[in-house]
Amino acid sequence: MYAKLILRNARRSVKDYLVYVITLTLCVAMFYAFLSITSSFYKPDIGVEFDLAIVNGGMKLAITAITLLLLFLIQYVNQYMLRRRMKEFALQTMMGMEQRTTACMFFAETLVMGLFALAAGIAAGAVLSQFITAMLLSSYGKEYVFSWTLFPDTVLLTVGFFVLCFALAGFFNVRTIRRTKIIDMLRADRENEENFRKSRWMPGIVLLYLLMLCVMVYTGVTKAYYYYDVRYAFVVKLMFLGNILAPALSILLMAVWWLKRKHRDFIRLCQILFPALFPVAFFAAMVPGCQSAYYLPLGDGTRNSYMMFLTGVMAFLICDVIYLANSVITGWKEKSAEHRYHEESLFFYGQIQSKLKTGTKTMMLISLTLAVSVSLFVMVPALVGWSMGFLKQRAVYDVQVFSSYSQVYEKEKLPSENYEEITEYLAECELRIVEDCLFSLYLPREEEFHNRYKYDFPVLAISLTDYNQLCRMRGEEEIALAENEFALQWQSIATGEVEEEFVREHQRVMTDAGELVLAEDGSYRALLGETLYNSYTDVIYIFPDRICGNLLAVNRNRYILTASPVAYDAAIKLEELFQKWYMTDREEKSARYYIRTRSEQMSSTTGSIFVMKASMTYAAVVLLVSCFTILSLQQLSQADQFGYRFGVLKKLGVDEERIDRLVVKQLVFWFGLPVLAAVVVSAIAMIYFFTSISAQIDAYIGAAALAEQVAAILSILVTLTVCYFAATWVLFRRSIRSSF
Amino acid sequence: MKEVLRLEHIQKYYGNKGNITKAIDDISFQVGKSEFIGIMGASGSGKTTLLNCISTIDTVSAGHIYLDGTDVTEIKEKKLAGFRRKNLGFIFQDFNLLDTLTLGENIAMALTINHVPAGEVEGHVQEMAEKLNIADVLSKFPYQVSGGQKQRCACARAMVTHPQLILADEPTGALDSHSASMLLETLRGMNESMGATILMVTHDAFTASYAKRILVLKDGRIFTELRRGQDGRKQFFGRILDVMAMLGGDLSDVR
Ligand SMILES: Nc1ncnc2c1ncn2[C@@H]1O[C@H](COP(=O)(O)OP(=O)(O)O)[C@@H](O)[C@H]1O
Ligand SMILES: [Mg+2]
Repeated sequence: MYAKLILRNARRSVKDYLVYVITLTLCVAMFYAFLSITSSFYKPDIGVEFDLAIVNGGMKLAITAITLLLLFLIQYVNQYMLRRRMKEFALQTMMGMEQRTTACMFFAETLVMGLFALAAGIAAGAVLSQFITAMLLSSYGKEYVFSWTLFPDTVLLTVGFFVLCFALAGFFNVRTIRRTKIIDMLRADRENEENFRKSRWMPGIVLLYLLMLCVMVYTGVTKAYYYYDVRYAFVVKLMFLGNILAPALSILLMAVWWLKRKHRDFIRLCQILFPALFPVAFFAAMVPGCQSAYYLPLGDGTRNSYMMFLTGVMAFLICDVIYLANSVITGWKEKSAEHRYHEESLFFYGQIQSKLKTGTKTMMLISLTLAVSVSLFVMVPALVGWSMGFLKQRAVYDVQVFSSYSQVYEKEKLPSENYEEITEYLAECELRIVEDCLFSLYLPREEEFHNRYKYDFPVLAISLTDYNQLCRMRGEEEIALAENEFALQWQSIATGEVEEEFVREHQRVMTDAGELVLAEDGSYRALLGETLYNSYTDVIYIFPDRICGNLLAVNRNRYILTASPVAYDAAIKLEELFQKWYMTDREEKSARYYIRTRSEQMSSTTGSIFVMKASMTYAAVVLLVSCFTILSLQQLSQADQFGYRFGVLKKLGVDEERIDRLVVKQLVFWFGLPVLAAVVVSAIAMIYFFTSISAQIDAYIGAAALAEQVAAILSILVTLTVCYFAATWVLFRRSIRSSF
Repeated sequence: MKEVLRLEHIQKYYGNKGNITKAIDDISFQVGKSEFIGIMGASGSGKTTLLNCISTIDTVSAGHIYLDGTDVTEIKEKKLAGFRRKNLGFIFQDFNLLDTLTLGENIAMALTINHVPAGEVEGHVQEMAEKLNIADVLSKFPYQVSGGQKQRCACARAMVTHPQLILADEPTGALDSHSASMLLETLRGMNESMGATILMVTHDAFTASYAKRILVLKDGRIFTELRRGQDGRKQFFGRILDVMAMLGGDLSDVR
C-alpha cells in the first residue's frame, strides 16, 4: 500500500521533482564524463608518441576534490525538496501516520527519483564525455574521432558514489523529519517574520577585512626600507607609500566610525569603506606590476601575498556591493516620488528589497563563486597556452644526455664518455643528426670537488665555444668574452633577487687557472634546457676555452638535434637501452648517466597540462552550474509566496501582461545582480591577470589567438546564463499562473 | 437615488451536464449610490460566487450585471483588469496585503496602478489613513501590526481610489470580536461620511446588522430582503436573528 502511495506522491509532485532530478542528472553527468577518461577501458587514439597514464592519476585526484563541491549542491537540492514537502508531512502526521513512516516514505521517494537521475545522468555523461575526448585529443594535437565511453568500471564508481550520497542525504533527511515538530512543519514555508531579521554575516566580513587591512599595513611597513632607496623611480616609492597609507586610511575610517558613537550605523560604515577600497586595491595591484617592471627584489612570497590581498579586496568589494544594494535601492526609492509611485514599481521594490534582506548571504556566496568560476574559465586558455609554449622552450633538444658526479669520490672515475651508442641507435632508426654538441662541464677549483652538502655544491663552468654552439643550436645569440673575463648563464626559474645577489658577490672568480672578472652585462638567460646546471644550482659560469683546458672536467653532456622528431616508442626504447648501456651499480661510487628525449618530455607535460585544463574546466563548470541552480531554486522555492503576492496584484486589477513584465523584471534583477557583480570583479581580475602576463602571452600564445578563445568561452557562458534564466522564467511563470 | 449596480436574472452553474450545481439561481437586485448592503446566508448558499460574478473575477452562466450603466458581462477579457481597477474596491477576509510593503505603500499601490500622478499619492494616502485611524502605523509592515489594523489598511486601499463600489467578502472573518466591531464602525463611517457604496458578504448576523439593507440567500436564491429603516442596530440585529431562525440556520456562530 505504501508503495502505491509513494508512486502516487512522486507522480503528483513531478514538477517539484523536476528541478531535483535535473540537478542530480547534471551532477551525475559531469561526474561520469570526467571520470570516464580515467577508466582503464578508455583508449582514445592520441598517437603512439603519447601515454595516458599521467592523465589518469592526476584526473582521479582532481575529480575527487571537485566532487566535494557537488556534494554541497546535492545537499542543497535535498534541503529544498524537504522544505517544499514539510507541510504535506505535517498533514500526514496529523492524520496519524507515524513520523518515522513519513520520513521513510520521503526517503523512498527521493531514492526512486535519485536512481532515475542516476540512469539519465550516466547516459548524458557518456554524451558529455565526447566533449572531453575532443578536448583531450585537441590537447595532443589530434583530430576528434568518436569513441565509446560507457565503461563498466566508471559506471560502477559513479553508481557507488551517488548511492552513497543519496544514502547519506536520506539519512539526514529522515533524521530531520523525525525530529521536527508538527507545528514547525506547518510553518516551514512561512518564513516571513524570520525574513526580516538582520544578518550578522556582514559585520563578520567587515571584521575579516579589517584584519586583512592590518596585515597589509604591517606588510607595507616591513617593506618600507625600500622607500629610502634613492635608486628607485617615483612610481615605486608611490607604490610603497600607497600600500601603507591606503589600508591605513581604511582602518582610520573604521576607527572614526567607531568613535562617533552617536552615528554608529553599520550601513554607513559599509558606505564609507566602499570608496576607500579602491586605492587599497589599486596599490596592491601595483606590486606585481612594479616588481616585474623595475626588477624589485621583493621575492615571490611578497608578490603572492599582495595577490592574496588583492583577491581579498575584490571579495570584499562583491560583499559590500551586494550588502549596499539594498540601501542604494532604498535611497533611490526615497529620493523621488516619481520613482516610487510609478505604476507597479512599489511592488517591484518591495520584492527585491525583501529578497535582499533575506538573501544577502546567499547572494554574496553566489557572486563570489560565480566570479571564481568565470575567472577559471577565462584563465584556462591563457594558462594552457602559456605552459604549452613554455614546454616547447624547455624540451629544447631532441636528445639530451648528461651525467652527474655526485656519487663520485675518486677523480679517476669521472666520466669521459662520447656516448657513441646513441649515434649508432639514431642511425639505426634512420634519424639524421643535424647538430650535435658533446661537451664537458668544469669545476672552477678542484678543491671544491668534495663539497657535497646541499647548499654547498659548486657552480660549474662551460667553455665559451661549447656555450656558443648550444646557443646556435637554440637559435640564441652567441656571446664574446675578453681574455680574462667570464659570464653567467641562468636557468629560467632563477629569480631576479637571487641573480642580483649572486652577481654582487661574484664580480671576480678565482679559478685554478687564474682569476677572472665578470664581463659587463655578463649575465645571460638563454633557454638551454634544464640539464646544464649542477645539482642545487641555477647558474653556470662561461669561461674562456683557455681557462677550461686547465680545469677539472666533472660532467660530460651531449645534446643532439635530429632532422625529424624521434617517435615516442623509439624514444622510450632509447631511454631503456641507454639505461642498460650506462647502468651503474648502486653501491659503486661512479658517475651516473641520464637521458632526456623531447618526445618523452612532451608526452608527460602534455598530460599534466591536460589535467590542469580539464580539472579547471570541471571546477568552473561545477561552480557555475551550482550557482545557477541555487539561483533558480531560490526563486522557484518561493513561488508559493510569490504566487500570493502576484495574486494580490491581480485582484487589485493589474493585468497579466504587466504581471508578466514584473516577473521578468524581478528575475532579471535576481539573476542580474550577482552575475553583474561577478562579471565586474572577474573582468577586473582578468584584465589584471592578462596584463601581468602579457609578456608570456605575446611570447607563447599570441594575443589574437587568446582573444578568440576567450571570446568563444564567454559566448558559451552567456548562452548558459540565458538558458538558465529562460528555464527559471518559464517554470516561475507557470507556478505563479497556477496559483491565481 | 442614483443606481450603481443592477443584477438581472443572474445564474451560475458549476460542473457539467450530468452533475450540475446551481450556485446562483436567478438573482436580481439593485444597489443605489451610497448604500451599505449586506448579503447573508449559510455556508454554501452562493455568496462568494455572487461576489465573484459582480467583481468580474468569475463569469456568469446567464443574466446581466450593470455597473454604473456598463454591462460587465460584455466587457472583453483584456479590458477587465482595467475596469476592475477603476470601478471596484476590494476588501478580503484574509486582508490580501503585500507582506513586502509597508501599510502606507500598500495603500499607495492602489493609486499607482491607477496612474495617479506621483506627486499626489502621498497626500491621498495620508488623508485616507487619518480618516481610518491608521496614520501612525503607515510605516510598519503587515506582520508588525494587528489584524484589525491590517483590515483597516485594506479598507483604506479599497477606498483611496474612490471606486464606484466596494466589495467586501467576509471582512470580519479573520478578526476577533473587538477588532471586528471597530472595523464595522470604520465601514459604516466610510459609508456615511464618505459616501462609499459598500456590498458586504457575511454569514454572521452581527456583522450583517451594520448594513442598511440585507439580502438573505438560500440555495442560490434570494430568500428574503431586510431593510433597517428607522430601527437601531440592536433591533435590526434581533430581526436578523429571527429570520435566521426561520431559515433553520445554526445560531452557534452568532455573537
Ligand atoms: N469552483 C467551483 N466548482 C464547483 N462548485 C463550486 C465552485 N465554487 C463554489 N461551488 C459550489 O457553489 C455553491 C456556492 O458556493 P459559495 O459561493 O462558495 O458559497 P458561500 O460563499 O456562500 O459559502 C456551493 O454549493 C459550492 O459547492
Ligand atoms: Mg464564501
